[in-house]
Amino acid sequence: MSGTDQAAPDSAADSALPALEASNLAKSFGGVRALNGVDLAINAGEVVALLGENGSGKSTLVKILSGYHEPEPGGSLKMNGVNVPLPVPLGQARTVGLSFVYQDLGLAPDLQVVENLFAGHRVTSGAGSFARIKWGAEREQARQIFESYGVKLDPSAQVGRLRPTSQALLAIVRAAEELREYRREYEQSGGVLVLDEPTVFLPEHEKVFLFDLVRRVVADGFGVLFVSHDMTAVREIAHRAVVLRDGAKAGDVAVATASDADLIELVSGHRLDRSAIEQATTHAAGAAIETAGDVVLSVNDVHGGRVHGITFDLHAGEILGIAGLLGAGSEDLPYVLFGDGDGAGGELTLPDWSGDISDLSPSRAIKLGMALVPADRKRQGAVPDLPVALNMLSLSLESFMQSGFLRIDKLIGIANQRVETYDVRPRDASLNMSALSGGNQQKVLLSRWLEQSPRVLLLHEPTQGVDVATRHQIYELMRRRAAQGVAILWVSTDFDELATVSHRILLCAHGQIAGSMAPPFSRDRITSEVYSATAHGAAKEVTAA
Amino acid sequence: MMTTKVDTSAEQTASSSSGGAPGRSSARSRIFNARTAEASLLPFAFVLVVAGFGIARPDTFFQWSNFTSIFGLNAPTMVLVMALLIPLTNGDLDLSVAELYGMIAVLVGWLNVNQGWAIVPAILVGLAVGTLCGAITGGLIVRFGVNPLIITLAMGSIFDGVALWLPNQLSVVGISPKLTDWTVLHHILGIPLDFWYGIGIMLIMFYVLTFTPFGQRSLFVGQSREVARLSGFKVGSTRFWAFVVGGFIAAIAGVLSDGVLGTATPQSQGGLLLAVYAAAFLGMTTIQPGRFNAVGAVVSVFFLQVAVNGMNLVGAQSYVQQLFYGVILVIAVVTSRVINSRRAASAARATT
Repeated sequence: MSGTDQAAPDSAADSALPALEASNLAKSFGGVRALNGVDLAINAGEVVALLGENGSGKSTLVKILSGYHEPEPGGSLKMNGVNVPLPVPLGQARTVGLSFVYQDLGLAPDLQVVENLFAGHRVTSGAGSFARIKWGAEREQARQIFESYGVKLDPSAQVGRLRPTSQALLAIVRAAEELREYRREYEQSGGVLVLDEPTVFLPEHEKVFLFDLVRRVVADGFGVLFVSHDMTAVREIAHRAVVLRDGAKAGDVAVATASDADLIELVSGHRLDRSAIEQATTHAAGAAIETAGDVVLSVNDVHGGRVHGITFDLHAGEILGIAGLLGAGSEDLPYVLFGDGDGAGGELTLPDWSGDISDLSPSRAIKLGMALVPADRKRQGAVPDLPVALNMLSLSLESFMQSGFLRIDKLIGIANQRVETYDVRPRDASLNMSALSGGNQQKVLLSRWLEQSPRVLLLHEPTQGVDVATRHQIYELMRRRAAQGVAILWVSTDFDELATVSHRILLCAHGQIAGSMAPPFSRDRITSEVYSATAHGAAKEVTAA
Repeated sequence: MMTTKVDTSAEQTASSSSGGAPGRSSARSRIFNARTAEASLLPFAFVLVVAGFGIARPDTFFQWSNFTSIFGLNAPTMVLVMALLIPLTNGDLDLSVAELYGMIAVLVGWLNVNQGWAIVPAILVGLAVGTLCGAITGGLIVRFGVNPLIITLAMGSIFDGVALWLPNQLSVVGISPKLTDWTVLHHILGIPLDFWYGIGIMLIMFYVLTFTPFGQRSLFVGQSREVARLSGFKVGSTRFWAFVVGGFIAAIAGVLSDGVLGTATPQSQGGLLLAVYAAAFLGMTTIQPGRFNAVGAVVSVFFLQVAVNGMNLVGAQSYVQQLFYGVILVIAVVTSRVINSRRAASAARATT
């Protein structure tokens, strides 16, 4: 059994100076206060969890520490008692004793473990860019480093072929080595490791390896800032939890003395109603809630990606919200249902088609009346170097054919009408897509799919990077379409948005539907239920493994 | 097939509530003017080149017969550039077209001369083999998801090898004069027939790329495979058929070269490859700037050939041709890049 016996969560080494002491950090974006004078202290040898839902200011805080954002004047940062001038030099955070591991890990998948580990400072026989790299010595050194952290990794393995957990371990070891390097170089004793949601995509029963590693790092006297949604992980390794809500500190509690309910209440600001949670989490998938329209999409035990067996019905005229934390599987669901998931399976029933999802492809799904608006607008949604008209009407080109010729004038004419209808600015469909703001691009994409008169509309984070005014236009547009009988599946991590638009909400955790909610919704209620469903599911998975 | 359903009610309310957008026509005309200026850059350079050499060599260069011979002799190159356009629009570089062209030229000549076939069946077999080779190349690339650059380079080497192997590394001499009759000896409006074949193929290509859903979808495939896939476009088959059509057109170019030269010589086609790529990219700067386009490519082919011809007539050495193609390819690629980013910038300005 790995590690629950070590590092009792109150044994934070009390050294004289905190490893990190930030005070009064603030940041606004165009009038919106993202961070409102937050203080944060991390002692040497202490793991501090940073909790908070999306938009609470967590990532703004992390980005101030990494130097990506410049905080407003008045804030200060001390590392190991020494004042660090703000902003932290971008890309140079390690020179002040900060090292980061992000969710995407930042590894080069085609390279070997050693190459990733020593990326910045290969072991060479001399100085200069062309000194001979000593591969043998490097491997040996890597082996020693891994051993010192109690991690089993083959230095010559290709990183892309490692399990996700091993990749995460490598990234953390690399970051910790950076801190050791910093200590040697500057003859310092501090150093803080920032882990930004590193456990999101890892299987529950493998997270213990990560926790063991973090404990080793802490044993070296480093401080750790652990940014996570994962209540179980927080409980496992953190000594203290700092909770942000709406850009301000909502709480700073010792984890050992706080219950799950306390933490969830701090995150959501919502008094937890035990019976409501019980009800939400025990109401299994498919618990039918009366809805007006007929079932237009019936999903039975669908899996693929991080989706592990999801079952639900979607009704005509309904906006069904899917609420899940990042990594819960909800982010893969729309693509799987659209036939774009590799190795996906499960049964799907539409009014005039029924079969296994592996037989579905995007083109087939479109023919069956489905539409998908992906979250990644830049990569999957629009082509920036083509005109708005073409991006908007790319699925209906055949209807602009006249005696064998594609009538581009008509295409632009109709596109200009749509530009009016959907209030796209500027009102010129011949401009390239790249000339439009994010919100206007999103309107173009929505109009592309609405042009097809879909019966089922799959939306994934449809208002990401969209300004507030446009957001509300999009909500209104979708409500109108639903009223006309379109069935809408709305996957989002923005619970405020889900509370605003949904008729019904399913909670997604660990790749499954963990419960359902009926109105009235509020952001706080959704947040608390999602968090507790996730914590509940994690406990189950660990005992099963 | 999907049809467009016009939501008239929503449209009327919207157009009545928000009147016309002020400043839209001026923004568009500003972009349009910049676009027209860019588009006419190459034709302008063309006129300058003709005028320059015309003044320098009025007796040899500035003769109608000189131009008709340039048109007739370079029709195979002009056709070969057309083979590149659809793959390029799809975002695939095909480096094997020139070698495929060379191989088909040798194959048709070899069947006709060495094997004693009649010219028509020889041509038909040549066209079929060219199409098949395009299918093999495209099939490998799409089926196995391999880098087209490497595969087409390798296929080019194979085609080159076959071209040398068939006639035992010798030139094929004495190809049926009927083919020559129907390529360069018969004239329409004083210009050899093969030029008109090329114009025909150019018009078809222009039509396919500009006036068919296939051509417009190719733009999406070339710009973003992800977007195209999630739009339900069949990315794999679009790319595959582009190679098939490319192989067929390259084969036509090979047959025409047999007619123009009367012989087929197995040789490396590196210089020709550079010439067709220079023309395709230079064509991107004119007519429909920013896109690979048929008419622009043809204008570019003849711009390059007229310039080379003029340089020869004023006494330049033959290596100047290689220098010239290389320099033009660099200029063309850089220019179209600059045009595209300038346009993006001016469009962004127009929105504010």
